Amino acid sequence: MELRAENIVYEYDAGTGYAKRALDGIDLTIREDEFIGLIGHTGSGKSTLIQHLNGLLKATEGRVLWNGRDIYSQGFYRREFRGHVGLVFQYPEYQLFETTVLKDVCFGPKNLGLSDEEAESRAKEALAMTGISEKNYETSPFELSGGQKRRVAIAGVLAMRPEILILDEPTAGLDPGGRDEILGSVARIQKETGSSVVLVSHSMDDVAEYVKRIVVIDKGHIAFDDKPVRVFSHIEELESMGLSAPQITYVMHELRKAGFDADTNALTIKEAADSILSCLNIKIHGSAD
Amino acid sequence: MFKDITLGQFYPADSVIHRLDPRVKLAGTLIYIITLFIGKSFFMYIPAGVFLVSVIILSKVPPSFVIRGVKPIIPLIIISAVFNLILTPGNALVSFWIINITSEGIYMAIFMIVRLLFLITGASILTLTTTPTKLTDGIEKGLRFLTVFKVPVHEIAMMMSIALRFIPILVEETDKIKKAQMARGADFESGNIIKRAKAMIPLLVPLFVSAFRRAGDLAMAMEARCYHGSEGRSRMKPLVYARRDFIAYSIILGYLALMIVLRVFGI
Ligand SMILES: Nc1ncnc2c1ncn2[C@@H]1O[C@H](COP(=O)(O)OP(=O)(O)O)[C@@H](O)[C@H]1O
Ligand SMILES: [Mg+2]
Repeated sequence: MELRAENIVYEYDAGTGYAKRALDGIDLTIREDEFIGLIGHTGSGKSTLIQHLNGLLKATEGRVLWNGRDIYSQGFYRREFRGHVGLVFQYPEYQLFETTVLKDVCFGPKNLGLSDEEAESRAKEALAMTGISEKNYETSPFELSGGQKRRVAIAGVLAMRPEILILDEPTAGLDPGGRDEILGSVARIQKETGSSVVLVSHSMDDVAEYVKRIVVIDKGHIAFDDKPVRVFSHIEELESMGLSAPQITYVMHELRKAGFDADTNALTIKEAADSILSCLNIKIHGSAD
Repeated sequence: MFKDITLGQFYPADSVIHRLDPRVKLAGTLIYIITLFIGKSFFMYIPAGVFLVSVIILSKVPPSFVIRGVKPIIPLIIISAVFNLILTPGNALVSFWIINITSEGIYMAIFMIVRLLFLITGASILTLTTTPTKLTDGIEKGLRFLTVFKVPVHEIAMMMSIALRFIPILVEETDKIKKAQMARGADFESGNIIKRAKAMIPLLVPLFVSAFRRAGDLAMAMEARCYHGSEGRSRMKPLVYARRDFIAYSIILGYLALMIVLRVFGI
């Protein structure tokens, strides 16, 4: 499985006086079992880019290849392809429309031509993975809380069993608790299904803990595409793009400046805490001697 | 596709027409439309054309933009021209089957085309040079005398301005929901009419839900700022006539008088 974007250029309102170049030569390859964070400031072109990856927008220049085949070539079945590359839009809860949660989640699999039973079993599986309990299956999606609605909407895409799952700012507008729940579910889904996940966000703190690769996009260009630790080492460049490294990275850098042997590559709170504890131990030890 | 409709769209520019009081422009448009119906001959459309072209030049709106606003109406113009062409009685020039094309028909058809073009261009100049807010302000103040007859003028104007404000938002929202459902494999393009109508449900339900949600949010926000209708409400920028508005009124009335005189003397 391989999804490759080659030299994508996209202009909104092309040919009119208001033409706006949102993407300017993007190269990106997504392979099996990846967990990618796509990071960029608001307006950098993240949402535009991901709509190219499942053929909702057609590039002005460049092409998108699914397993080596141009998705705009003759006879390429794009509707089925959208089942392979599942895209969850920002605020996906606004796309719910069915009378019950279960029926809404079945919409995707049924559009792929699956039987009712098969669609239902996939829907239940997806709902379980996003943490919606069985007692909610027959309730109206409009009666759920905001966070639950969003998880139902994510299940709606997940039920198509995509090989690549792309989520556009899935934590937007959620409180810290809801945010951690969603991110935790996404990480679990990635692990359990083995599908590749692209997590779009404008905040490094959202993705630092989970992803294995970070793609930074700035003004329609890809600025970095590397392991998290290496991307975070470019703090100044990130800041000039209106981004920032995770808070932990800043804390560790400050500690190091203050003379502690803190590990600036720590990505999670746990790693940071361990590193801080270990250097404190040494200090305490040293002064006791 | 909605982006192509410039009718009802504002074109920002710094011109004397833009600065006119919206009441002058509303009255002017109304009078202009009336004069088009007073006009009975091509000759009378010469002053109407001069008036229209002068306003367009003064407004600094590029002619290409004005023409684009007329485009969506072209099918309507063609249909009405065709009906006039084949249904006007008179000297038959060509006739076949039940269709008679008469010289009067040709005259009427061309006359209709010119009349409709003038009408739509005139109306679109109003919206091209007046923001929706100013337009509704103008309607509210211009029609205020109707409150005597218990017509809720302010409320109607407020509803109009909110509706106008929400059109682009709903268009954008439709596009988003459509894409989101397409990402779930929805198909809006193929199949027969019934299938296509059914395919609209996943689009329309979320659209209505979101329209009601927005309406509720807006009502809440307005109440939080103590909005309670027209009573005791003052304005930050009250409409006040300036000298140019009186000059514009005189020109419009002069033009109306000219058209009436032409009509009465049957030129
Ligand atoms: N429908 C649209 N029409 C015109 N311009 C758009 C549209 N959507 C986005 N843009 C512009 O394209 C650029 C990239 O937008 P987007 O991909 O939404 O950024 P992001 O998701 O990173 O915030 C922005 O400058 C934005 O203004
Ligand atoms: Mg976005």
